[in-house]
Amino acid sequence: MGTTTGAPMIETEARAITAPAGKAAQGAGPIRKVGVIGAGVMGAGIAAHCANAGVPVVLLDIVPGGAARAVQAMLKAEPAPFMHKGAARLVTPGDLGSQAALLADCDWIVEAIVERLDAKRELYATLDAVRKPGSILSSNTSTIPLAALTEGAGFARDFLITHFFNPPRYMRLLEVVQGPETRPEAVAAITEFADRALGKTVIPCKDRPGFIANRIGGLWMQSAMNHAVDLRLSVEEADAVMGAPLGIPKTGVFGLLDLVGLDLMPHVAASMKASLPAEDAYVLGLREHALVTRLIAEGRTGRKGGKGGFYTRAKDAEGNSLKRAIDLWTGEDRASEKPALESLEAGRRDLRKLVEHPDRGGRYARAVLLDTLAYAIGLVPEVADSIESVDAAMRLGYNWRWGPFELADRLGPAWLAAALREAGRPVPPLLERLGEGSFYRTEAGRLQAFGLDGAYHDVERPEGVLLLADVKRRSQPLARNGGASLWDIGDGVACLEFHTKMNALDPDVLGMIGKAVAMGTKGGFRALVIHNEGENFSVGANIGLALFAANIAAWGEIEGMVEQGQKAMRALRNAPFPVVGAPSGMALGGGCEVLLHCDAIEAHAETYMGLVEAGVGLVPAWGGCTAMLRRWSEAPKLPRGPMPPVAKAFEMISTAQVAKSAFEARELMLLRPTDGITMNRDRLLAGAKARALALAEGYKPPEARPLRLPGASGRAALAMAVEQQAALGRATPHDIVVCGELAKALTGGRRDPTEETAEEEVLKLERQSFMALLRTPATLARVEHMLETGRPLRN
Amino acid sequence: MTDIVIAAYRRSPFHFAHKGALQKLRPDEMAAQVVRALVEQTGVDPETIEDLVLGCAFPEGEQGLNVARLVGFLAGLPEGVAGATVNRFCGSSMQSVHQAAGAIKLGAGEAFLCAGVESMSRVPMMGFNPMPHPGLAERYPQAYMSMGETAENVARRHQVTRADQEAFAVESHKRAAAAQAEGRLRDEIAPVTVGSTTVAEDGCIRADASPEGLAALKPAFRQDGTVTAGTSSPLTDGAAALLVCTAEYAKRHGLEPLAKIRAVAVAGCAPEVMGMGPVGASQKALARAGIAARDLDVVELNEAFASQALACMRELGLDEAKVNLDGGAIALGHPLGATGARIVGKAAQLLKREGGRYALASQCIGGGQGIATVLEAV
Repeated sequence: MGTTTGAPMIETEARAITAPAGKAAQGAGPIRKVGVIGAGVMGAGIAAHCANAGVPVVLLDIVPGGAARAVQAMLKAEPAPFMHKGAARLVTPGDLGSQAALLADCDWIVEAIVERLDAKRELYATLDAVRKPGSILSSNTSTIPLAALTEGAGFARDFLITHFFNPPRYMRLLEVVQGPETRPEAVAAITEFADRALGKTVIPCKDRPGFIANRIGGLWMQSAMNHAVDLRLSVEEADAVMGAPLGIPKTGVFGLLDLVGLDLMPHVAASMKASLPAEDAYVLGLREHALVTRLIAEGRTGRKGGKGGFYTRAKDAEGNSLKRAIDLWTGEDRASEKPALESLEAGRRDLRKLVEHPDRGGRYARAVLLDTLAYAIGLVPEVADSIESVDAAMRLGYNWRWGPFELADRLGPAWLAAALREAGRPVPPLLERLGEGSFYRTEAGRLQAFGLDGAYHDVERPEGVLLLADVKRRSQPLARNGGASLWDIGDGVACLEFHTKMNALDPDVLGMIGKAVAMGTKGGFRALVIHNEGENFSVGANIGLALFAANIAAWGEIEGMVEQGQKAMRALRNAPFPVVGAPSGMALGGGCEVLLHCDAIEAHAETYMGLVEAGVGLVPAWGGCTAMLRRWSEAPKLPRGPMPPVAKAFEMISTAQVAKSAFEARELMLLRPTDGITMNRDRLLAGAKARALALAEGYKPPEARPLRLPGASGRAALAMAVEQQAALGRATPHDIVVCGELAKALTGGRRDPTEETAEEEVLKLERQSFMALLRTPATLARVEHMLETGRPLRN
Repeated sequence: MTDIVIAAYRRSPFHFAHKGALQKLRPDEMAAQVVRALVEQTGVDPETIEDLVLGCAFPEGEQGLNVARLVGFLAGLPEGVAGATVNRFCGSSMQSVHQAAGAIKLGAGEAFLCAGVESMSRVPMMGFNPMPHPGLAERYPQAYMSMGETAENVARRHQVTRADQEAFAVESHKRAAAAQAEGRLRDEIAPVTVGSTTVAEDGCIRADASPEGLAALKPAFRQDGTVTAGTSSPLTDGAAALLVCTAEYAKRHGLEPLAKIRAVAVAGCAPEVMGMGPVGASQKALARAGIAARDLDVVELNEAFASQALACMRELGLDEAKVNLDGGAIALGHPLGATGARIVGKAAQLLKREGGRYALASQCIGGGQGIATVLEAV
C-alpha cells in the first residue's frame, strides 16, 4: 500500500541542484534519463518528481493516451506533483504498446503497474528486450517479493525494488530492496540518485512482505481499529488518542483510512495473509469488520469517492458544512463530537501518563502501543538490520513524529517489557536484551542506537549530511535567548536557529540577529547560516504581539518594533561577513524578509516563500518592499523604465502570493538565479554552509544603491489596476486601502521619477504605510481573524 | 481636382496575442513583411512613394522609436521614402490614411504607404511604463478609464442586452468563418513568415461560436456586467497596409483602384462611453460627403465590443446586413494600430466586390473619440 498520511504536505524533501543531478556513484553510470511504466497515481507521481529533479522522463501506460492525460491531470492537481510548470515539459508521455522503444536510452526504468505477478513478469520481458545494457530496472511494488519478481530472470543483476510513498513528491521515504543477485553498483546508483536528485531518504529493507513501513503501519492500523471497536471508543476519540500524544498525524487512524481508501483494507489484508506465516501477529490480528464491509459495499470508501467513510460531511439548514462521524458500534452517522477524555489531558506531555490512565483512552493507547511496539521491535532483524532504519521509515513514510523505538524510549523500554509480561505476552528478544537501557542514547555528544549485537553504535549520517540536531547534541550554543540560538557548525561558520512557536519572529529573535551580527563583526566567525530544523523556517512576525500593542494603542512601541526589524534586516545585509539563508517549509512575511536580506539563499526545494502581509491588511515593513523593488529592478528580462519592477512587486505583494516550491520562488525573484536549491532536506545545512564558505573568501557587503521609482504617476496607474479588480469583485474595500498604502511605498511616495530614491526613504514609507494600516479597524479585524482561525479575512 | 484612391490593400493574418502564431514575430518585422508584400503586389517603383505613414497605438519597445522609418528599412524601401509614426490609439492607421489624403490635397506628394501595426503579445496595452497624470486621474478619471469599463457603460446607457451582444458576436464569427472557408479573405492576407514557418490564415475566428458557449462566460470587466471576453475583440497581433495615391498615379502605374476617398472626419466624445465615438465622426463624414446613412452600400464598423458596435449601428441607423460583411474585430481580432488600415482597405475591397457606390469605415477610439472615412466607388 502506498500510503498517504494526513499531515499537511509541508514538511518534505529535495536535492542539490547545485550538484549535478544524479551524480554517479562509483562504478555505476549516472541516472540521466528515467523511464516510468504505469501512469497511475504512483507512476505518474514518480515521473513528475524525477522531472522536478531536472531529469528527462519517459512515462508509458498500457492505455493509449493514458500517460498524456495523466500529465495534464497532474498540472491541475493539488497538492501539485510538479514543483513548477516547466518540469512537466521534461516528461515525454507515450503508449507502452507502440512506444516501448522510447525506453532504449533510459538509465533507470521504474515499473509501477497493477500488483499482479504475471503482468509484471510479462512487462519485464518486454522491458528487458528494449532497455540498454547496464540500465537499472526496478519495481514500485508494495506487496510482491523481489524473489518472485526475479525468479529465473536474466535481468536479476539489474533489478531491485524501489518503493515510493504517496504522494511521491512530498513523502521522503524510499524503501529499497535488493536481491542476492543485484549488482551493488545498481543499488549505489539508485541510492545516490534518490538521495541527491529526488531528495529521498533511502532505507534498505529486507525482501519481506510490506517491507518496513507498511508492515508496521498496517499492523498499527489494524490494531487501532480492532481496539477502538473492542474498547468502544468513538472514531474521534480514537483519532485524538492516536494523534498528538503518539506523534501521529492528526488524521489518526480512521481519518487516515478515509484518506487512503477503505477499499484498500481487504486487499492489504489478503496480501499479508497470503505472504506472512499464520502465527505472525499481523495475521492473527486480521479481522473482518462488518461495518467496514458495509461501508465498502455502499461505496463509502473514503474521501476519494466523495461519499466519505468513517467521517462524512453534511449541510445543515443554512448550508453550513458539518462534520459527521460514524458510530463504530451502531453503524449510524451522527454529528461529530470533540473528544473529552481525561487521559488525553493527562497524557498531553507525558506518554506514560496516557497509557497508565484508567479511562478508555488510556487503555486504548496502551493496547495499541503494546501491539505496535512489540511487533516493530520483534521485526528487527527480520525487516531491517537497524532500529534507526525502522524509526526513519515510520517517520518519513507515515509522518510519525517518533518511530516505534523512539516511542518505546519515551514510554521507557523497561516499562514496556514489564507491561508485556503483565499482559502475558512475549517480550521481543531485542527488548529483553536492552534491559534497563534505552534504544537510543547520547554518548560524548553523539547519537547512538542499540544494535543487534547488544552494543551501542553511532547513528551514521550519509556522507555530506550535516544536521543541526547533531550539532546541538554535541555542543553548547554560542549565544541563546528565548527565541533563537547561535551555534558553531564548524569551519568558522555559525548557524542562527529560530525556536519560537512556529518560528514566528519576535523581539528575542530580532535581538539574536543583532547579537549574531555583532559577534561576527568582532571576528567570532567567518560566515553565518540562518537555518532551523522546524517544520517551517518561519511563519513571519508575531502578529499577536502587534495586535496586543495596537489594542492598548501602544503605537510608539509598535513603530519601534518595526524599526528594530528594519535595523536587524539591514544589519544582516551590511554585515562584514556573508549570510546565507537555508529555508525549508514556510518562509512567510517577516520570515521571507529575513531571507531577502541574506547574501544568498540555499533553499530546500519544498520551500514556500511569500510576502503575505496583505492577507492581514498590512504591507511588508522590514524591508520586504524595498528588497523586491531591488530584485525586480535587477531582473534582466524586465523592460526598462520605472514601472515594470514596481508593477511586479505590487502584483505579488498585493495578492500575498506564495511560491509553492523553491522553483516557483525563483520565478518570483524571491530566489535569485544564483541562489541554490537542495532537494534533500538533510543536505540543506551542509549546502548552505558550503555556499557561505565560498562567499567568505574576499567578501564585501553589498553597496547601498538608490532606486528609480515612478512616484505619484505610478501610484495612479496601480490605483487604476486595483479599481479594475474591484469592479470584477476580486478586490474587497479594504484590499483597495491596503493596495493604496502598498502602492505609496512601492512607488516612492511623492518622489519625481527623475530623482533617485534612497533605500532609507522606501523603508520609511514602508513603516508609514504599515502604521497607517495598523490603525484601521479593518486591518485589526484581519489580524484578529487570522490569529483566531488561521485564515485570512476578506473584508 | 484629383481623386485620392485606395489603390491596394494587404494585411497580415491576425492572431491571438500571447498564444497565437505571431507572438514570436517582432511588430516592426511583421509590418515590414506586409509593406513589402503590398509594394510587390502593386509593382510600383518604390522611389515614387513619398512617405510611409504607420499607425501604432503603443509605439514603444519593439514598435517604438520612429517605427515607421525602421519598417521602411526592413521592407527594403529606398532611403528617399520618408517615414512617420502616427498615434490615435485604435484610429492610428485610419489617421495615417487621412494624413496621406490631406498631404495629397496639399500637393505634398502623390503616393503614400499607409500602414498600421500592433503586437499586443510583445507590447502590452498601456505600455511598459503606464504613468498617468495623477491630478487628471483624480479629477477626471474617465480620461484613463479601461476600455472594458466603457463598453459596460455603453451597454447600460444604450440598453444593449447581453443576449444581443452575444448574438452579434456569434454572427461576426459566422460571417468571418464563412469568408475564410470560401476564400474571401485570401486576397487581403499577405502571408508572413515567423522563423521558418509561414502563417497565411487568420487565427482568431471561431467557426463554432455559439450563443450557449458565450452565455457560459463570466463578465470580463464588472462583476455585475454584461460584457464578456466573447463579446469583446481579442488582444491581437497583426499589421495592415494600403497604397493611397492620386487616381492619376494609379493609372500611370497600371493599378486598378479599389475606391476613392470621399470624405473623412474625427470627433471627440465622452471618454466613459468612448465606444460611441463612431456616431459623431460618421455623421460628420457623411455630411461632408453629402450623403446619408441610407446611401451606404458597405459599412466596416470596428467591433471593439459588441455593445458599442450595436449601439452605434442603432444610433446611426445602419443596416445590419451591410455592416461587416466578412465579420468584424470580435471574430477577426483587433491589433489596435492596424485595424484602421484594415477596415478602410476592407471597405474599399467590399465596395468593389459588392458593386455598391458608397462605403463607410469607422471606429471608436480610447479616450473618447471616433474616426470615419467615406469611400466612393471609382
